[in-house]
Amino acid sequence: MAPIAPFNASEITEKARRDLLRLLEGIRGKKNLVLEKALAGPLNLLVKFSTLQEYGVDKPFFLENDNVDSSQRNIVFLVRGEKSTVISAVADQIKRVRRDSQIEHEFSIFWVPRRTTVSDQILEEAGVLGEASVSEWPLYFVPLADDVMSLELEDAVEDLYLRKDPTPVYLSAKALMLQQQKYGLFPRIIGKGDHGKRLADLLIRMRTEVAAGEAPSNTGPSFLGLTPSSMIDSLIIIDRDVDFPTALLTQLTYEGLIDEVFNISANQTEVDSSIVGAAPQPGQTGSASTSMKRKIVIDQKDELYSTLSDVNFAIVGNMLNKAARRLQSSTERNQLAAKTTSELRDFVAKLPGYQAEQASLKLHTSLAEEIIKFTHSDVFTRSLEVQQNIMSGTDPTTQHETITELINRDVPLSAILRLLCLESTTNAGMRHKDLEAFKRTVIQAYGPQHILTLSSLEKMNLLQPRGGSGLGVTPAAKPGSVTNYTPLRKSLRLWDDEVNEVDPNDISYAFSGYAPLSVRLIQSIIQKQTLANIIKPPSDPRAAAQANPLAQGLRVFDDATKYVRGATFDQRQTGEEKAVKARSMLNGNHNDAMKTIVVFFVGGVTRAEIAALRFIGNKLKEVGGEGRGSRIVICCTNVITGGSLVGSAVEKGRFRA
Amino acid sequence: MSKPTANWEKLGDRFYRKIQLYTAVFDQDLELENYNVVGAPYSGAVAIYRDENKITAYRGVQASKASIDIYSCAGKLIRRIDWSKGTIKGLGWSEDEKLLVVTEDGTVRCYYDLQGDFVPFSLGHGAEEHLVQSCKFYGSGFVALLGNNNLISVTSYTEPRPKLLAIPPPDPIISWSIIPPAYSLSRSVEVILAIDKTLWVVDATEAEDRNFDAGPFRHISVSPRGEFLAFYTDDGKVWVVSGDWSDKLSEYDSKVKTVPKDMQWCGSNAVALAWEDEVHLIGPRSAATKFYYDAFIHLLPDVDGLRLLTNDVCEYLQKVPDETVDVFRLGSDTPAANLLEAASLLEQKSPKADDLIQLIRPSLAEAVATCIKAAAHEFNIHWQKSLLRAASFGKSVLDLYSSDDFVETCDTLRVLNAVRFYEIGLPISYEQYRRLTPEKLIERLTNRNEYLLALRVASYLQLPSAHIHGHWAQQKVRVSTDTEEQICALIVKKLHGRPGISFEEIARAAYDEGRVRLATELLNYEPRAGKQVPLLLSMKEDNIALDKAIESGDTDLIFHVLHHLHKKLPLASFFRVINTRPVATALVESSALDQDRNLLKDLYYQDDRRLDGSNLLLTEALAQPSLSAAHDKLKLASKYLSDSRDPTAQFQRQALDDATKLLRLQEQFDKDLLGSPGGVTSPGLTRGTSLVGLSTHDTIFHLLRQSHTKRAAKVQSEFKIPDKTFTWLRLRALVSARHWTELEDIAAKQKKSPIGWVPFFNEILGAGNTRVASLFVPKTTADKGVGVLERVDMWLKCGLVVKAAEEAFRAKDRAALEGVRDKAEGSAAVEVERLLGMLGGKR
Repeated sequence: MAPIAPFNASEITEKARRDLLRLLEGIRGKKNLVLEKALAGPLNLLVKFSTLQEYGVDKPFFLENDNVDSSQRNIVFLVRGEKSTVISAVADQIKRVRRDSQIEHEFSIFWVPRRTTVSDQILEEAGVLGEASVSEWPLYFVPLADDVMSLELEDAVEDLYLRKDPTPVYLSAKALMLQQQKYGLFPRIIGKGDHGKRLADLLIRMRTEVAAGEAPSNTGPSFLGLTPSSMIDSLIIIDRDVDFPTALLTQLTYEGLIDEVFNISANQTEVDSSIVGAAPQPGQTGSASTSMKRKIVIDQKDELYSTLSDVNFAIVGNMLNKAARRLQSSTERNQLAAKTTSELRDFVAKLPGYQAEQASLKLHTSLAEEIIKFTHSDVFTRSLEVQQNIMSGTDPTTQHETITELINRDVPLSAILRLLCLESTTNAGMRHKDLEAFKRTVIQAYGPQHILTLSSLEKMNLLQPRGGSGLGVTPAAKPGSVTNYTPLRKSLRLWDDEVNEVDPNDISYAFSGYAPLSVRLIQSIIQKQTLANIIKPPSDPRAAAQANPLAQGLRVFDDATKYVRGATFDQRQTGEEKAVKARSMLNGNHNDAMKTIVVFFVGGVTRAEIAALRFIGNKLKEVGGEGRGSRIVICCTNVITGGSLVGSAVEKGRFRA
Repeated sequence: MSKPTANWEKLGDRFYRKIQLYTAVFDQDLELENYNVVGAPYSGAVAIYRDENKITAYRGVQASKASIDIYSCAGKLIRRIDWSKGTIKGLGWSEDEKLLVVTEDGTVRCYYDLQGDFVPFSLGHGAEEHLVQSCKFYGSGFVALLGNNNLISVTSYTEPRPKLLAIPPPDPIISWSIIPPAYSLSRSVEVILAIDKTLWVVDATEAEDRNFDAGPFRHISVSPRGEFLAFYTDDGKVWVVSGDWSDKLSEYDSKVKTVPKDMQWCGSNAVALAWEDEVHLIGPRSAATKFYYDAFIHLLPDVDGLRLLTNDVCEYLQKVPDETVDVFRLGSDTPAANLLEAASLLEQKSPKADDLIQLIRPSLAEAVATCIKAAAHEFNIHWQKSLLRAASFGKSVLDLYSSDDFVETCDTLRVLNAVRFYEIGLPISYEQYRRLTPEKLIERLTNRNEYLLALRVASYLQLPSAHIHGHWAQQKVRVSTDTEEQICALIVKKLHGRPGISFEEIARAAYDEGRVRLATELLNYEPRAGKQVPLLLSMKEDNIALDKAIESGDTDLIFHVLHHLHKKLPLASFFRVINTRPVATALVESSALDQDRNLLKDLYYQDDRRLDGSNLLLTEALAQPSLSAAHDKLKLASKYLSDSRDPTAQFQRQALDDATKLLRLQEQFDKDLLGSPGGVTSPGLTRGTSLVGLSTHDTIFHLLRQSHTKRAAKVQSEFKIPDKTFTWLRLRALVSARHWTELEDIAAKQKKSPIGWVPFFNEILGAGNTRVASLFVPKTTADKGVGVLERVDMWLKCGLVVKAAEEAFRAKDRAALEGVRDKAEGSAAVEVERLLGMLGGKR
């Protein structure tokens, strides 16, 4: 019996699905569902709307629209219970419906992922707590792919870095704890960054709390539940603010670019139907407004897409071309060769597959075309040039002219902010004079409301004067308060001049030259040998195998983290020896084969980083790889792009006449 | 030893047995006929209270005091609850032995342990007005009937939410009953009401007449699992109907004139009718048997049988389990019966034992299993032993046999016999034990303060004992008369380091008892920071509570504490508390930003955070609906920074002042250009033309677009916009407005451009005007980095092949010229060839 691998996507999906449906089942009769917009994506990913209908959901409403009607007796709210504004909105709507409606309603609230005392307080103060039956939908991880789990906390960046509200860290700890309770402790927790440290501390604390907590129903599982897992290798936690530049750069993988151009949310993206054609079943989507935008599911299960998603966009065209040729030839030759009836039958049986493939091919060709339009625009190439120059270590002041020109050409604010923040974060801040000049220009170009935007960016440590914020003239920031890229560029070889996009040999392919620091740090833990050889190519390639002294212990990691901001931590979790033995007996002897490495990004991960990690994962699986068949699972609070990173600081209001 | 069949009664083709559990249950002085008696499910405790409608002999002041008394089945008084809170209209038990008391005015008290601690809640829905008439209870909830026939259902005691069910007709209700949600078709509670001659079924949404006009029905009873319904008609008949109302299964004529005082199901197969001292048991197909007593009798229904309670005895009436019938029935020749016989022969050292074993050899395994089961169902220890001995003998003969069942049954019986002991008084049957689960049984023992037995059972069954210890400790801090130090030391000594112990609960018990110092002491041993918070708050240890909340990392808890503190403390001290705790400050800021701006302002003021305060004012300015209000706020925001020497603040102040200046200018322009003061536009003009709210760049852009060049220039000088920027803006404005002539003018007259000429070419070309774009190509010679090749390309982009060719020719670039040739057609091709020829000629 093979034990189920930890962090099993389908299992998590299935559990979340069952939990929700059970809650819905508990309410008799038809019901109207009011949900928070941020939950629509994950919900869609987990349950089909038709299934919800089977469980009595009549009409869905968005909480934000405040328009739930009284057409059904039962009204169900599905909302996150952490933010007081959302809770108040629920209370207000219950009051409104109760006031306006003729019939008596039954209100139910499903808090996601947990019921909070704050929510009880607010509902009680509003006088509606007694009216509604309250339950929880413990939705923590939402699997986006087999190896990607996201908490889908849209506001994680804003909460963590702007408001300094550690809620996402706590929820992450809860989510990871649930997995630990199921599959055993992470034998090792290692990582970088202040929030990461907090997360690690919370995990350790929760462990003792769980051990001391609810009386275990029977001695079996919990006794084993809190001993180190034999199936998990380690948990690596990376805090986003360790490495903002990677997130700020334009992603150059196919999936990354789709995210940049069209925005992916919960594996769905909306594309104008003039680009990809109308939805396949026009009969079902009636109204004209929906036909304008078409929802496309970005799905790793699509075979064609799974080969495309993580490659550098430069070669996507070629791959699409090849795929088209192959499809054409296989259909044609078969048609010609299909002489006997049995062959014909085989061919016909394959037809639906071909059709699906063809549809997917068509879709991605049009998407790629649209992206090419974007990447060939002058503005794009200019900003990419600035990015590449900054990352490769050119004096950033040489780029200022280009940035100013881009501002003058009125490119979107977020693009400019990304460039400015990139400069600031890679160079430990901007020269005071330059920063002030740019601030003035941005305010003049995009409006006075962005005084707030700039101040928010400064709070997030994205855009600040050199030597830290404050008095501005203090020389040399404290060590550990900023990431210093200059030594890292060399010691971790963050810039790769001989990048190979077609047949990549290093993660630098994802950004056409820049190897993301976050992934390098992870590499320095799990793929030491390869990394050491990349950093310091052995003089004699044949003698390379074990010799590289850099690969010993955590030398690379330790060296590098000195220059990276935030706390470094490395904890081992051990259990009673007896229990460890029992567990390994139960699970059979795995040794290191197929152990799972869990990588957790606090504050979000970009799709390009996911691609780079998958690249490492595939290398580890190769024969003779260092991980001996390890599997990498990427967990995060949310998936971000540079746009959304700076976007959380952008002030949306403006003066009105 | 009497025969095991001695207490069997035949009912149709089945057997029922009446097991005497305890004798001398109640004091003979207790007039049980004047009391209402209810028993908790699974042979739990019995609660009695005096029926106020009946007269009693006066026994002096002491005895007349009303109380609810809780007894064990063996008649041991567990707790007396003095009662002076009004008329009791409903008394019942929940599955987990919570006692519910419902008074006439709709107040419900839930006694959650057997020690008299309770949680009250109110029914609402007009209960106070119409008064509660009666209540029916099931495992996890109950339904109350009001005077106006409204029905209120409560489905959970942890979070009671009384709900009104559908309204039945207002006619008088003769009798009623409920089907628990677990067994009803709709999965929610259903109520059966006997009104007039018919029956109504009421659930949450509708009240339906079942058109059952054989009534009026004096009693209604629902079988334990809702499979059958029994009705007692006015003319003395008992009807049994299947739970889905489809089949009428039997009809029995009791031939008694007086209506019985009670009718209950005995398991799922028989109905018991009770008169004062007589019980009729009616089985399927109307078979019946009668029992007579010499004292007043109460029926206490349970899942698999019926407890009968008089002053003298507590008896258990149940259908004899099939296995027991197999073994013990007179003349039974089942393998199990033979095995039992063989075992007893073996004891007598008779060789016949082996003969018998050989006889049943083929079905020996089955016989062993039957004996084990029968032993489990047996109440008599003697017969339990005999049966187990027989099973043991049988399995020793078998070659392959898994003894799990045997061992488990032995374990179970040991536990059952222990709790059935009269001092404990839990006469639980095997079936009930299986359903109750051992954990719950231990909980019941704990609630009875039988800690030693509970611990023994727990360790015997290898179940966690944390809860027992916790309960013990709570009880200890409540009642112990030792000094607080001693208590604390004792508890810590016994419990510290054990997993699953909640010191928080113990501390809370101590606190509730008024032992604050002990509570604080104990709380220190609680490892879960989060758990400590609520108690710390109620102990008014606010700062520690906040620290513990922060330590737990749970923002919800932190918010909870902050909310509490904010309500309680004066603002200044509230700020003092949070000031030293960055996480708390951040959370206050974050939530105040959404909800309470004034608090935030005070906070910034208190902390002298000028920049943040000014930002907040700017945010507010943006939210103002009118421009004049926005101006005021902006002014404030700027003033806020006036004293600050900080360069960032000075910069910000400048920016704010610029914003004000810009808004004023925009207003002025609006007034000039739209002919009305800013904001209020005349009907002919669209709102979109107003400049207010645009950035400086956009303002210039729009002005230029509408050819208000002077005004644009004014903005430029006012805000010191660099020439480069201005040129870009002008270019983009002209292109977007398609002012081609002006652009041509520029091409013709202007000598220099701060941004070079290539952008002009690109922008105009991008707008699709190749003619005007081409005008700029010759000018690009002045630009840096633009060579012949680029210009050739530009010409080509404009479609002017000949010009491109000439450009290449002038530069004598043969390669470029050849490149042009490839793209040339018609007359242009000829021209290119000519130029090529000229070049070639020269070479």
